[in-house]
Amino acid sequence: MIRPRGQIIPLVVSADPIPGGGQLTEARVVQPVLGLDVSALSGRLWFHAMLNGEGLTLDSGELAPGIWGEGFIDRRHPHTYVHELMLVGRLAGSRWGVGAGAGKGFVPFGTDDPMSRPPVRYPVNHHLAQILERAVVLGQARYRWITIEGSLFNGDEPESPSSSPNLDRFGDSWSIRGTVQPATGLELQLSRAKVRSPEHRGGAGLDQFKWSASVRGEGSLGSRPAYGLLEWARTDEASGAFRFESWLGEGAIVLGRARPYLRLERTQRPEEERISAFRSRRPHLEDAILGISRWTTFTGGVVVELLGGASRYSIAPLLEGTIGRITKSGEGLFQVVDWYSRPEFWSLTLGVRASVGMRAHRMGRYGLLESTLRHPVGHE
Amino acid sequence: MRPVVFLAVLLAACDSEGPISPPPPPPVTEPPLASQVDVPPDYGLHDTFVRDGVAFLSVWNTGITILDLGGGGRGGTPQEPAVLATFRPNNGSLAAPAIHNSWWFHNASNGSRRYLFVGQEGPGIVGSTSGGDIKVLDVSDLTAPTEVAFFRIPGAGTHNFWVDEVRQVLYAAYYNVGVVAIDVSGALAGDLAAREIARVRMTPASYTWGVMLANNRLYASDMTSGFWQLDPGSLQPLGGGNNVTERYGSDLWVRGNVGYSGTWGGSPRNGLRGNAVKIWHLSTSGAPAIADSIVIEGINTISDLEVSDNGRLLVFSVEGPTDAGLYVYDLTDPIKPVRVGYVNVVQGLHTVSLGRVGVKLYAFAARNPASPALLIYDLSEYDR
Repeated sequence: MIRPRGQIIPLVVSADPIPGGGQLTEARVVQPVLGLDVSALSGRLWFHAMLNGEGLTLDSGELAPGIWGEGFIDRRHPHTYVHELMLVGRLAGSRWGVGAGAGKGFVPFGTDDPMSRPPVRYPVNHHLAQILERAVVLGQARYRWITIEGSLFNGDEPESPSSSPNLDRFGDSWSIRGTVQPATGLELQLSRAKVRSPEHRGGAGLDQFKWSASVRGEGSLGSRPAYGLLEWARTDEASGAFRFESWLGEGAIVLGRARPYLRLERTQRPEEERISAFRSRRPHLEDAILGISRWTTFTGGVVVELLGGASRYSIAPLLEGTIGRITKSGEGLFQVVDWYSRPEFWSLTLGVRASVGMRAHRMGRYGLLESTLRHPVGHE
Repeated sequence: MRPVVFLAVLLAACDSEGPISPPPPPPVTEPPLASQVDVPPDYGLHDTFVRDGVAFLSVWNTGITILDLGGGGRGGTPQEPAVLATFRPNNGSLAAPAIHNSWWFHNASNGSRRYLFVGQEGPGIVGSTSGGDIKVLDVSDLTAPTEVAFFRIPGAGTHNFWVDEVRQVLYAAYYNVGVVAIDVSGALAGDLAAREIARVRMTPASYTWGVMLANNRLYASDMTSGFWQLDPGSLQPLGGGNNVTERYGSDLWVRGNVGYSGTWGGSPRNGLRGNAVKIWHLSTSGAPAIADSIVIEGINTISDLEVSDNGRLLVFSVEGPTDAGLYVYDLTDPIKPVRVGYVNVVQGLHTVSLGRVGVKLYAFAARNPASPALLIYDLSEYDR
């Protein structure tokens, strides 16, 4: 089976305040991806590939208050051109299964990639709750409804859209994830990972120890397809000198052609020395941070499907808004008002999601956890 | 022709009888680069201590690199430094060496040049927490350093040093602990905790960057509360303090009755980045009072500053965003420095140290990653 997938989202986003104060409105093309899923041997062998063009359309990042990572602050960084390139095999009986995979892609840790979840806006906790774009070798074992995964990978995160994993560092980091699927559509997961020096490619940076736990449900609410996720994530750096924690809940429901969704999140993030309003120093020069901030966000939105639910193709205008509050968490020189004129912020996004085949692949789940179901509230 | 003649007469009259204009400022020139020494990018060079023709490079996780500039016996020069040794101290209380600064101790009581004091800079939340030990290396043989002692304050980390080589007291700026005085007389071995003489945290929020002994007076620059005069024995505040409140403070230097302190802009304070050098007049008792300041647009942080040994030049290093690099000021009037030299270094300079090799004055600047390096500038043209 060969299954192409792709997506592009032209949008206009406005946010207030941005770092330094004031309002900013930008037009961008986000999440331009082209993918291919190929399965053979009656689903025992899978190949997943995805190209991501954000390096071309999103060089300065996507305006998104609270989002951080890979040197970007309050902007989501572009992902790498080769986003995913994984070969995965699985052997499964009715009660047991084993799987293995290798390539560049998602580490078995945490929850689904935000690209395959209802809101367009990425959550603040992306760098706490997922590990991606790594050279990874993974193994899986399943007994009845319990699946255990383990992986080895390179700790370094990308430095630019053209970055490739530092293969000299392959195996310096590991993860393990346990997934329980006691009933159709219900999933619980608990993950643990050690990530060696993710923020310094050469390996001189701080190590991270990460936890993630979540409950995910997908099914019907009444007669309407619905989805819900509750997750907790925590990352410790420098032997616990820095601790960042996140709680997130989100849900979506299908109401005819409309798909409204909500997300509530409270996440801590590091406040680093900035070289400009939206960028922090990369490569790092030392291991200090200026403090920790806590971002409480409430995001709501709706997409309206124009082509009908049965089609693999989708053109869906979307309107999404976020209101939130920034607070200082703990000590340090970072002060909210030094960068933002007030602690309350908002952002508003208007765009169109055009996609094909995106609903079939839960990004971040391979092999035994690969679902062939169409996810009724995912993106199409 | 008539208007031209009139204009010429008018100009001549103005030239001979008009008010006297101040002389134009001297031209700002770019100091020549004597040499560049690349260092491994993990994370790179933080500080350099230069003495007697030998340079000690604090190269984060690489450790201490010792260069012969003419005093190490390996034929090195500032134009072609020769590596004497690279030594990676143990991690101590940290997960990595994180070597930040050093001081080659010339003991005035016995002439010993055996010890190199080395500072680590561990993870911390600026303004609140820090980590890192003081390490003591035996550099009797500059080609084969060994680690012999350490000083540690749990829950705190050291930053810049000054050593009273006559009284054999090491003063360490100690970030969230303030300033610490340590007895470094005699042989040093093992844990030096019992050698602590005094410590002071000037305010409950103090986060102290640097300390300097000058004129038998001790001065400290605190990131949150400014420029202080301390008692060299008890470390108790004698003057100053709470005098830089609109920006965060950074490094300091004192010469004669004038002090200079930098400002740090890793995060704005009251909307201001660290783009100012504060100039302090020191009273007969040594107490500092603000006299003037230099404000430079296009920079975030004055990361390090130093006055030349003859008092002629003020030199400081600067980090981003656009006008980072090395700044050289003439101190004919110490209260009114005049810029005479500047070189733009895009990555920014984390520190600069001055050192004389033979009769020539050089600036030893630490270029930030990517491509970290020691940049050695010849300052002779400004030093005449």
